[in-house]
Amino acid sequence: MNNDHHHQQQENGTGETNRPLSPWLVGAFMLALCWGGLYLGFNSGGFRQDVYESNAVNWAGGGVQSAAPVDPKVVGKRLYTQNCVVCHQPTGMGVAGQFPPLVGSEYVLADGNMGDNHLVMLVLNGLQGHFMVKGQPYNNAMVPWKQLSDEQIADILTYIRSDWGNNAPAITPDFVAYVRKETASANDSYTQEQLMAMKPMKSTEMPGAPAKK
Amino acid sequence: MNRLPTLLSGIFLVFLTSWLGLVAYPAIQLGRLAPVADADNGGTLPPTYGGQAIAGQHVYATEGCISCHSQQVRQTSITSSDIERGWGVRPSVARDYLRDSTAFLGSRRLGQDLSNIGVRRPDAKWHFIHLYHPAAVCEGSLMPCFSHLFLTRKIQGQRSDEALELTGEDAPKDGYEVIPTSDAKNLVAYLLALRHDYPLPEAPVKKAGAAK
Amino acid sequence: MSHHTLPHHHAESGHEPLDTKAIDASVKLPVIILFGNAIHWLVVASLLSLVLSIKLVAPGFLGGVSFLTYGRLAPMARDLMLYGWASQAALAAGIWLMARLCGRPLGEGLGGVFLRTLIISATVLWNLAVLLGTLAILAGYSSGVEWLEYPGWASAMLLLSFLLIGIWAVLLFDRRTTGHAEVAQWYLVAAFCWFPWVYGTANLLLVWKPIQASAQGPIQSWFCGSLLALWLLPVALAAAYALLPRLTQNHLNRRHLATLGFWMLLFLGGWNGMDRLIGGPVPAWMTSAGVVAGVLFLIPVIMIVINLLGMPRHGVHGAKIIPSNFLHMGIYALIVVGVIGSISSLPSVSGALRFTAFTEAKTQLWILGAISLPLFGVLYESLPQLLGRECWNQTFSSRHYILTLVGIGMLVVLMILGGLFTGLALSDPTISFLNITSYSYPFHLLECVAQLLLCVAALFLAMNVSVALAGDYLLNKQTGK
Repeated sequence: MNNDHHHQQQENGTGETNRPLSPWLVGAFMLALCWGGLYLGFNSGGFRQDVYESNAVNWAGGGVQSAAPVDPKVVGKRLYTQNCVVCHQPTGMGVAGQFPPLVGSEYVLADGNMGDNHLVMLVLNGLQGHFMVKGQPYNNAMVPWKQLSDEQIADILTYIRSDWGNNAPAITPDFVAYVRKETASANDSYTQEQLMAMKPMKSTEMPGAPAKK
Repeated sequence: MNRLPTLLSGIFLVFLTSWLGLVAYPAIQLGRLAPVADADNGGTLPPTYGGQAIAGQHVYATEGCISCHSQQVRQTSITSSDIERGWGVRPSVARDYLRDSTAFLGSRRLGQDLSNIGVRRPDAKWHFIHLYHPAAVCEGSLMPCFSHLFLTRKIQGQRSDEALELTGEDAPKDGYEVIPTSDAKNLVAYLLALRHDYPLPEAPVKKAGAAK
Repeated sequence: MSHHTLPHHHAESGHEPLDTKAIDASVKLPVIILFGNAIHWLVVASLLSLVLSIKLVAPGFLGGVSFLTYGRLAPMARDLMLYGWASQAALAAGIWLMARLCGRPLGEGLGGVFLRTLIISATVLWNLAVLLGTLAILAGYSSGVEWLEYPGWASAMLLLSFLLIGIWAVLLFDRRTTGHAEVAQWYLVAAFCWFPWVYGTANLLLVWKPIQASAQGPIQSWFCGSLLALWLLPVALAAAYALLPRLTQNHLNRRHLATLGFWMLLFLGGWNGMDRLIGGPVPAWMTSAGVVAGVLFLIPVIMIVINLLGMPRHGVHGAKIIPSNFLHMGIYALIVVGVIGSISSLPSVSGALRFTAFTEAKTQLWILGAISLPLFGVLYESLPQLLGRECWNQTFSSRHYILTLVGIGMLVVLMILGGLFTGLALSDPTISFLNITSYSYPFHLLECVAQLLLCVAALFLAMNVSVALAGDYLLNKQTGK
């Protein structure tokens, strides 16, 4: 405390001086700061917003707990089971003569001169009267499902396009929203003629749709 | 440091660091979290609160329940005792508080953690009796009696369906019944809705076999 | 004139000598009114804390009354301690210290009258906000956010009155008579700038227009840390930096260290609040930030402590003893707070001890120890100078001092031990929660005794101040002033 003659001191006119700090203490502080930096670096889950466990990830990028997005097909299957199975059956085969199948259906797959928009339109606004599916005649009414949300309809359609051997591109909620807007004026179920009168459109052709791939 | 502008700029800049990290970042990132789709029933997660539960949050706030109860199951990298104690099946994450108006995280556990009380105690009748006289169902409990959330009234005609089944010293005199007020009903609806046991992308739930 | 006045700066060429009597006269009324109100709320808060500690031993105490449940009284007691006592005492201390350190009275002539009236009106507004806010919590209108339970209109009143009071302290700094700024002045400027920002932001995002609840956790924790470490503690430290050297007739001998300590405290203070949320529903990096900030907080504490206690001490005599003791005890409390804070921020320790009485012990030591003790020191030093005479009753002063120290010591030790015990038991899932509650009984019982001591201490202080002010009033009547 009184080894003043060993240390340089400057007075600044108020009597305050600047005795230097013990090097041990400075060393301890630096060590503590290093520890702090390292701890923060290794225990912050890569500073990601969705990582909550501090031991989850390290900077080397090793694997972990990333946010797996919910698979729309899983949600779609559930919704299908709750809403569509009564008529179209869990097998997607429908009931002969009454409810058309979804397996290999040109409406579902948007084959030939059908478009993705036709599929969405008929789910939103329904179908009535005579219509043909896979060469078989049907005369029935499908109720409109516009009360389901864009995401829900998109998920159902994505599901039915991917199960039972069907293979067609997913439908996005944006596309459903677009078709919903375009057909907002329809106040009755379509007949097959009315449906086919509308120009077919693939979901990738939607104005403003991101380019494929 | 001898001039006000220099000092003020320094103070402002230093202060900005913690403000950016602890106010701006949460407001922008955590404040914009959205519900996710529920694979099981087409709804969203966290499951929405009904109207009574929303009103019950207000009762929770004004009665000061946060003074003794917390509502967070801690991350396992810090401690697994919350989960081992059965207070939750997975740690709580920010998205769990989406539907609350105030995040009642709490800082003291004079009483149990309540984030999953809707799973642990799904019986409304138990909650009513517990609120009316906690020590009757939890011996030695420090919780005060919330008898002002209940009404003691003369039985008119038949005993009400809502009347509490009280025994011993708690039971009202003959011919009287104790029924919950709407505040009590709302609070209990809120408590029953408190659950963090559904999976979220950032918080998967380990299936049976792992957690207790 | 008493011997222990805050000495003038060494007369530097070109500066006129400072008239401390004029300075004191210009701030006398506002400071006394602020301190007086603060002590009044301290007594009420102490009584409420006593009632709360009794309720933990006998939950039926005052039971059956809707507005006297634990859940209503606890936020009342906490907010009264923070905004009724601590913040007001900090305002009083801040104004007096800043005026004396800057060597300028608070406005001259008519300007002075205007400023005094403004500050006193703002003080009335502040106390009205505290009173109405407290009654609102009692009546069931609490906002439900910890430490921000006053309804929106009350907190807005509080913020407004702070702005009306605090701005003058900052402006005084700009008009000071010496070119050289003391460490204490930096802390005061920082504190007065921070409170509006911290209080305003927190209230805006949590009470006035709450943002989505998923984001509220970190903001509320940031508020708690900032309120203590960036508003209240800097004023207490300013008191220590200003008064300790003068009371011990010394000078700071490590100014560079003081600078470092100042900036590190400011930097870590806000982040330190995250230790309330370690392991909570926040991204991992925030938990880690809380751990690191909590542990590293010990560094500025050590720097400050070395600065303040590391100078050779000459004997302190007579009326200087009590203020000097309070200030020293405040610094010791700060050391303990720093050590406890560091240890309890480590992940495994936090995992065991968070939510127990251990965290409460830390908060109590912060508020009652590191912040209140230096503010008591300022009170004991300033009032005689403001009144122009020795005004303290020595019996009351020493009883206040002893009872406060014993009370705080006992309370903190009990809460630490109780918290350790509870925390370790909670980590064992086979021990039921109700069992743990029943084993905490002896700790809670003794905590009642500690709170009683603190209540009596507060009463002694209140009596001391009342007698001093009454004596002043009578004296003025006699001399016909």
